[in-house]
Amino acid sequence: MIDFLILLLFLPVVGALLILFLPEHRQPWIRPIALATAASTLAYTVFLATQMDFTNPAVQLVAEYQWNERLGTYFSFGVDGLSYPLVALTNLLTLVAIAVSTQIKERIKAYYMLLLLLEAATMGVFITQGWALFYVFWELVLIPLFFLIDRWGGINRQRAALNFVLYTMGGSVFMLLGLLMLFDANPEHRFLFASIKRASAVIPAETQTLIFLGLMIGLGVKMPLFPLHGWLPLAHVEAPSPVSILLSGILLKMGAYGMIRSAEMLPAAAINLQDFMMALGMIGMLYGGLLAWRQSDLKKMIAYSSVSHMGVVMIGIAALNTNGLMGAAYQMVAHGLVAGALFMLIGLLYERTHTRDINDYGSLLRATPRFAVLVVLALVGGVGLPGTAGFIGELHALIGGFERWGWLVAALSLGMLITATYSLRTVKQLYTGPVNLGMRQVEDLHPLELAAGGVLVGGTLLLGLYPLPLLHLLHSSVQAIAAPFGG
Amino acid sequence: MVDWLHLGLLLIPTLPLIAGLWIGLGMIFKWNRGEKGERETAYIAVGSASLVLLSLLVLVIYSGMQGSLGTVVISRWLESGNVQASVNLLFDPLSLTLASVFSLIILLTLRFSVNYLHREASFQRFFLIMCLFHAAMLLIVLGGNLMVTFVGWELAGISSYLLISYSWQREYASTSATRAFVTNRVGDAGFLLAIFMALIYWGNSDWEALLVQSQAESSLVTNSIVLGLILAACVKSAQFPFSAWISHALEGPTPSSGVFYGSVMVHAGVYLLLRLSPMLEQMPIISWLLAAVGLATVIYAWFLAQMQTDIKSSLIFSTLMQIGIMVIEIAAGWTSLALVHLILHAIWRIYQFLLSPSFLQQTSSPAPAAPAWFQQSVWLHNACLQRFWLDRLADTFLVRPTRLLAHEAQLFDQQVVDRLTGTPSHVNMLSTLAQMQALQTGSLQLNSQVGIGSGMFGKLLQRLAEMMEWFEERLVLKSSSDGLAGLATVLGQRAELIEAYLRQPRYMLVLIAATLVVVL
Repeated sequence: MIDFLILLLFLPVVGALLILFLPEHRQPWIRPIALATAASTLAYTVFLATQMDFTNPAVQLVAEYQWNERLGTYFSFGVDGLSYPLVALTNLLTLVAIAVSTQIKERIKAYYMLLLLLEAATMGVFITQGWALFYVFWELVLIPLFFLIDRWGGINRQRAALNFVLYTMGGSVFMLLGLLMLFDANPEHRFLFASIKRASAVIPAETQTLIFLGLMIGLGVKMPLFPLHGWLPLAHVEAPSPVSILLSGILLKMGAYGMIRSAEMLPAAAINLQDFMMALGMIGMLYGGLLAWRQSDLKKMIAYSSVSHMGVVMIGIAALNTNGLMGAAYQMVAHGLVAGALFMLIGLLYERTHTRDINDYGSLLRATPRFAVLVVLALVGGVGLPGTAGFIGELHALIGGFERWGWLVAALSLGMLITATYSLRTVKQLYTGPVNLGMRQVEDLHPLELAAGGVLVGGTLLLGLYPLPLLHLLHSSVQAIAAPFGG
Repeated sequence: MVDWLHLGLLLIPTLPLIAGLWIGLGMIFKWNRGEKGERETAYIAVGSASLVLLSLLVLVIYSGMQGSLGTVVISRWLESGNVQASVNLLFDPLSLTLASVFSLIILLTLRFSVNYLHREASFQRFFLIMCLFHAAMLLIVLGGNLMVTFVGWELAGISSYLLISYSWQREYASTSATRAFVTNRVGDAGFLLAIFMALIYWGNSDWEALLVQSQAESSLVTNSIVLGLILAACVKSAQFPFSAWISHALEGPTPSSGVFYGSVMVHAGVYLLLRLSPMLEQMPIISWLLAAVGLATVIYAWFLAQMQTDIKSSLIFSTLMQIGIMVIEIAAGWTSLALVHLILHAIWRIYQFLLSPSFLQQTSSPAPAAPAWFQQSVWLHNACLQRFWLDRLADTFLVRPTRLLAHEAQLFDQQVVDRLTGTPSHVNMLSTLAQMQALQTGSLQLNSQVGIGSGMFGKLLQRLAEMMEWFEERLVLKSSSDGLAGLATVLGQRAELIEAYLRQPRYMLVLIAATLVVVL
C-alpha cells in the first residue's frame, strides 16, 4: 500500500533539498523550482481528494509506523473531513506566498527553502494522528518562521521574531506538561488520538480539565486567545508580506485545529470549560475588532482583525454542536483566504508606496483599479457579507452559539458591526477623497499578482456563493466530533 | 399549442416595449445616434405600432366571428395566502375597440413625427418614449386585472413625465413635468387603495370578478374600490379640481402633446369609468358626485377656453370640456354614447393638434376676443387669468405644509438623530479647489480620522477602544517586548553572576561542602 500522506509530507522537503543542492551559478532556478514544488504539492493534494470518501467520518489514508514502543509513540498520519481543507489551504497559501515573493532579492536560496520546510511542518501538524508527533511538528514550525521573520522582516524584525518564539515556547511548556499528564492518565500509555479517545471515558473530569487548560494555553498562543496575543501584532507587521500571509492564513488555524482536536479527546473538560471558552472568544472578537479600528497602520489593523475573526472561530468551537463546529471550520478556511488576500495586497501596496499609514493614502481608485477591486472584495469578505465565505462561517457559528446560549450570541453581530466599521473606513481612506499627488503613479497589479489575488478572492466568493461542496466535505467529520456533546 | 397563442397575445402589449428597448440599447451602444440612425429608429417604432394594429384588427375580426375571447390568463404571477395574482389580458369589445383606436392614433402620430422631428437632437429619445407610451396604453386598456392595468397606468405616467421634460434644459419644462407627475401620484394612491381592498377582501382583482363581487355585496369595500378608481380616473383625465397639471403639460413636442393630453392618455380615465359603469349603476350617490365633478370641469374649462390666446392651450381646455361631458354621460348611464363620443373626440382632437403648428398659415383672421360681458366682469376675468387659483391653492394647502414638515424633519435629523448616530466624517472630502491646492502645497493638514468616532454611539465606541488600547499597550505589548525578553535578559544577567561566583574555587568548595553536609 502506498503511504499517500508521507509522500505528501516529503514533496516540499524534496523541493527544499533540490534548492539546497543547487549550484551557486543556478540562482535563477530557485524561484521556478519553489513554485513548481508548491504547485505540484497542491495538485497532489487535490488528487488525494479523489482517494478519500468524505461521507465517512473515519480517519483515512492512514499510515502508521511504530516509533518508540516504550513511550507509546507512533509515526501516525491520516486525514479526515476536518483536516483535509486545512491541508489544501496550506498548500494553496504557500503557493500564493511563493508567487508574490518577487521582492525578496537577497539570500533567496535560504528563503525559499525555509518556506517549503514551513509548508511541510504545517501540513505535518494537520495530518498527524498522535499528540507526540503533533508536538514535534508544532515546534518544528517555529524554526523556519523564526528565521523568516528574523532575516527578511522589517525594522524591528529581531524583536518580533524573538517575541514570537518566546511566546510560543512559553505556551508550549504548558502544552507539554498537559501532554505528559495525558500520557500518564491514559491507561494504554500512548499518545495516539484514537487511544486517547478510547481512554477519555476513564480519565476523571478534573484531570481532563487540568490537561485541557494546559493544552489551551499552548494552543491559545497560536490561535491567539485574548491575553496571549501579544506576539501577533508585532510579528505580523514585521514579517515580510508573504510570511504574513502564511502567519495569519495558516499558523493561526493550527491553534484552532488543535483546540477542536483537544475538545474531541477530552469531552468532559470541554463541557466544563465551555462557557469560559465562549467568554474568551467573545472578548477576543470585540477586543480585536476595537483595536483594529484604532490602528492607522494597515498591517496592524489586519493583524488585530485576525484576533477578532479567530474569536468567532473560538465561539463556534465553544458551542460544541454541529453548527458551531461547522461554523468554526468554515470560518477558518474563509479567514485563511481573506487574511491571506489582504496581507498579500497590502504587502504589494507597501512595496509600491513604502507606507503603511492609512492617512497617507487617498483616491487610489484611478491609479490602481485592479487593486481596488480585490482589496474591496477582500475587506467585504472579512466583514462576512452574504456571498462571501465569511458569511457562511459566521452564520453557522451564530446558529450554533444560539442553540447553546440563546440571545447572548447577539454580541457576535456587534463584532461584525465593528468589523464593518473599520473595513469600510479602510476602503474610504484608500480609494476616495482628494487625490494624493505622490500616489498617482502607483503601479497596478501585475498579471501574476492579479492571478494570485484573484484565486484567493475568487475562492472567497466561490465558497460564499456555492458553499455546499465544502459543507458536505466537512459535515460527516464535524458531526462525528459533535456527537458526544449531543449534536 | 395554447401556450403559443398566449405568447402571441402577450406580444401585443409587449411589442412596443421591445421596440423601445431596442431603441434604448441603440442609444446606449451608439448605433442609432444622430441623423443616420433616424431611419432605423423610425422603422422600428412605426413597424411595431403597425404590427400591433394589424394583430388587433385580426383579433377584432376573429371576435366578431367567433365571439369575444374574454379574459386570457397568460401566466400565474404570485400566490400568497388567499391572494392570487396572475398576468391577465382582457379582450372584450370595449378593450379591443379602444386598443385599436388608440393604436391607430399612435401609429399615425408616429408616422407624422418622423418628418416633424427630423434632425431633432433627441429624435431617438422621443421615439423610445412614444414606444413605451404605446405599450402603457395597451396594458391599461387590455389589462385583465387591476394590477396589469396599474402597470400600464404607471408606465403612462412615467412616459408623460419624460415627454413633458423633453426639453429638460428649460426650467419650466422640468418643473411642469414634476408637477404633472406628482399630481398623478394622488390618483395612483386611489388606484393602489382599490387594488389593496380588492386583494384583501376578495383575493382577486380581475375585472370580471370585480363586477360579479360588487353585484353580490354592496358594501364599504365596493364603495372604497370604486371611489379609489374614480379618484385615479379623475386625476388622469384632469377633472376638476385636478385640472391644473394638464395646462402646464404641453411642453413636449406637439405630436406628443396631442397624443398624451389631446387624444389618448387623457381618455384613460374615461376608459376606467366605462369599465366601472356597471358598478356605478348600483351607486346613485357616487354617480351624482361624478356628474358634479364632470360639470365643474366643463364650467372651468369653458371659462378658461375663452381666455386663451395660443392654439395649444385653447385646444387643451376644449379637450377638458369634452371629457367633462363624457364623465357626465357615464354618470348618467349613457355608456354607449360616451364610448362613441370618446372615439370621435380622440380622432378629431389629434387631427387638430397635429395641424396646430401650421395653424397660423391656414388662418387669416386673428383669434376672436373674449365676449363683451366677459370682459366687463373684472373678477371673473381675473379668476380666469389665474386659472381659478388651482395651482396657488395646491401650493398653499399641500406643497407648503409638506415643505415645512420636511424642514422640521430635517432639523430633527440634524439636531437629534445625527448627534446620536454620528455622521460619516467628511474630513478626507475636500469641498473646494482652494482646499485641494492648499493640501497639495502642504499648507492644509488633514487630521487623521482613524479611531475617531462621531455621534453618541461613535464616541462610546471610541472611549471603549481607547481603554482597550491602553490595556494593550501597557499590559500586553509592553510586557511582551520588555517583559518576556527583558525578563530573560535580567535572568541571564543573574545567571552570569552566579556563574562568575561559581568559577571562583572557594565558592565551588563551599558548594561541595554544603552538598556533602546535605547528603550525609
